Amino acid sequence: MTILARKPAPAPARPARWARPRVPEVKPQNVMIKAKPGLVLSVIALGAIAVVALWWQDTASVHGLGAWLTGAGEVLGLMCGYGVVVLVALMARLPPLERGIGTDRLARWHAMGGRYVVSIVVAHGLLIVWGYAVTARTNVVSESATLLTQYPDVLMATAAGFLLLGVGIVSMRAARRRLRYETWYYLHFYTYLAIALAFSHQFADGQSFVNSLGARFWWSAMYLTVALLVVWYRILVPWRAFTRHGFRVLGVRAEAPGVVSVYIGGSRLDELAAEPGQFFRWRFLNRSLWWQSHPYSLSAAPGRDRLRITVKDLGDHSRSLGYLRPGTRVWVEGPFGAFTADDARRGAVLLAGGVGITPLRAMFASLPGRVTLIYRARSWSDVVFRDELDAIARARGARVHYVVGSRAELGGDPLTAAVLRRLVPGLHKQDVYVCGPTGMMASAVAALADAGVPRRRVHFESFEF
Amino acid sequence: MTAGGAVRVRRAEHVMGTVVSFDVLSGYAGAALTEAVRWLHWVDERFSPFRPDSDVSRLAGGEITVADCGPEVAGVLAACADLSALSGGYFSATYAGQLDPSGYVKGWAIERAAGLLTAAGSGSHCVNGGGDVQCAGGRGADPARPEPWRIGISDPRRPWSLCRVVAGTGFAVATSGVAERGPHIVNPHTGAPAGDLLSVTVVGARLSLADAYATAAVAMGFPAARDWIEGLDGYCGFGICADGQAWETSGFSAYQPRS
Amino acid sequence: MRRVFLAVTGTVAGLVALLAFRSHVPSAAPQATSGGAGSSAGAGTGQTGTVGQPAVNSSVPAGERGIDGNVANTVYGPVQVQVLVKNSKIVNVHILEQPSSTIHDLQIGQFAFPQLIKETISTQSGRIDAVSGASYTSAGYIKSLQSAIDNGA
Repeated sequence: MTILARKPAPAPARPARWARPRVPEVKPQNVMIKAKPGLVLSVIALGAIAVVALWWQDTASVHGLGAWLTGAGEVLGLMCGYGVVVLVALMARLPPLERGIGTDRLARWHAMGGRYVVSIVVAHGLLIVWGYAVTARTNVVSESATLLTQYPDVLMATAAGFLLLGVGIVSMRAARRRLRYETWYYLHFYTYLAIALAFSHQFADGQSFVNSLGARFWWSAMYLTVALLVVWYRILVPWRAFTRHGFRVLGVRAEAPGVVSVYIGGSRLDELAAEPGQFFRWRFLNRSLWWQSHPYSLSAAPGRDRLRITVKDLGDHSRSLGYLRPGTRVWVEGPFGAFTADDARRGAVLLAGGVGITPLRAMFASLPGRVTLIYRARSWSDVVFRDELDAIARARGARVHYVVGSRAELGGDPLTAAVLRRLVPGLHKQDVYVCGPTGMMASAVAALADAGVPRRRVHFESFEF
Repeated sequence: MTAGGAVRVRRAEHVMGTVVSFDVLSGYAGAALTEAVRWLHWVDERFSPFRPDSDVSRLAGGEITVADCGPEVAGVLAACADLSALSGGYFSATYAGQLDPSGYVKGWAIERAAGLLTAAGSGSHCVNGGGDVQCAGGRGADPARPEPWRIGISDPRRPWSLCRVVAGTGFAVATSGVAERGPHIVNPHTGAPAGDLLSVTVVGARLSLADAYATAAVAMGFPAARDWIEGLDGYCGFGICADGQAWETSGFSAYQPRS
Repeated sequence: MRRVFLAVTGTVAGLVALLAFRSHVPSAAPQATSGGAGSSAGAGTGQTGTVGQPAVNSSVPAGERGIDGNVANTVYGPVQVQVLVKNSKIVNVHILEQPSSTIHDLQIGQFAFPQLIKETISTQSGRIDAVSGASYTSAGYIKSLQSAIDNGA
């Protein structure tokens, strides 16, 4: 994610050792596995069916209200146990998922799935208490007390349920707007605690597990596998990258008022196999920034020994980047994102709005074939990379269109279907990559549809995750 | 011991793969009972599909024809054919392609056994052939004021329990279902075990018919079973479905115990 | 909102379908004697006189006869009961064997079964002369109420 700043940042002396980026920049060859979204969803669904089958074969027959309630509670409980594993796996930063599905979509899936899982956790608890009470011919209050005090590990599981519910509430959009990103981020980690607390009661009280060693084995294997993946991809891989590549801040340059580029150097960076359009998560290890990790897109195609991000001053973190000292070590995770140009043989149109120019600037330099860049900005002071973009355009015979001005000045939204068709002859035959603030992207995508560009050739990635 | 003596004698006899329980006045517990028991063994020898030398087995194997068997065999097969027609094929004398009239034979044999006791002069007895009961008269010694026989109906869902009690004089109670042996009633039309009724009890005058009706009803499933029994003249029914629902036909209330 | 509606209805429909399909007849008791439509293999020579002495529990009170039933598959799991019969009436039922692998099972045993038994006994009023039920085999007879009645309990 790139943030373009409004305030000018102090520009430290530019080290003489590097010159302007040479164009065209080389697009790295990539043989990464990219998971198809449909395939991943099918696998998740198959897993859910297997979980239901587990309940099915362990349940003899269901007669009467008590058995129905308990049965429903058991199925939902199994779904919760499976669901949390899926949710963690989606966020485990698995490269095939990140590159094939995209971070923003994964985060959306996680959010939707998270709401569902929290809901069925609550339903599971209520149904089990009620079902047990009916079967045991007692009332729900005394049954709750019995469950909490006499059933093994139910107290822990109940605490876990409340934790999950709390995390769910805190993650609601209304609450998130009031919280600092970091506060929400660290609170969210309590989900791991909840999962750990709830694990044992599944085996101790779950009808499907109590008598089946096989079921317990496979269930544990599932949990262990995902746990290992999380440790591997969220901790060990970044650690290995940190030691192997030795990321350090090379320097900071002011691009425009309130906009800085940060150059990060390292060795053997081609091994990262980053593609233009992708982003990394950056943790600058100085006293004020070490505890924060922020995502910023590459604003130039990655070089063998350096990476560039361009950041606008929009908050505490982005503002502080202007003060980074060369030599500061950086903990880098990535690359992430599915906003890449795989197949733009027919020609590509890059449609940037404001902050969205950053990943598109990287793609502009490296995409083969015919490329057109349309850069929408509110005022000329918001335009960054002006001379870089012009230079790239000249060197490769591409066109850049600057559409500058507020809506009031231009008499409405300037990026209509008619305008787009006029700016880009043969628009409907090309691939279009859109990046910018949400509102701009929404209207641009609609305009592209009007202009006859097929949906599958319009690519965009949301920054809001 | 004079006939009409109030002492009751109970006897249980292993025959036809089950146990037949007799409850008679002591006066008839001698020669009459022996003859009834001998009858049952005779039926077993002639009709058991599990004895390779029985008439039924040899008929099924094609070694003999109906004309070679005694008149009882022809009578049984004719009755089975009538019942099959009456029940729309749900009562069948064939099981897995083989001739097997056991669904009728057992009830018929018990009914005849009770009839032999009546012929010998007993006005009050109860014969239970493995769960199918034929009663004669009432329970008390005084034929002028007969006490009804009280027959309990097993609850198929709870092995220790009775779900109903019926009371009557000179009547028969037959129950078919899935309880002890598992689903052995097969729907002749599909070949698969009939599933959705746990048990059906038919009450009426003659055990041979009540037994066959109950067997057919289980194969029919609910609600066909209830509707069919409702249409049977002189017989009523009670059943329990797999989901626990209990139902009875209109004549069943007449057999409710007074106390 | 539409997604919420779909998620809720989908979940409820799925649960109802699963539970409805599982509401079938409980399978036959695991110890059903030599299956099939009755085997007379063991009924070669008939025996007159009192047969099939029901298993008498030494702790059964005088005048009562205890019959140990088969292990039956009930909705709670496999259950074996002992029925105490006196004067042709069921006077008590003991649970000999019940599922006990989870706390839930034990809780059922503590609360549910005594309730069920109380209900059973309270409805079994009056003398019973005979019991009609799905046919039992010779071995099944031993464990039946009918045998207790026949033996003069």
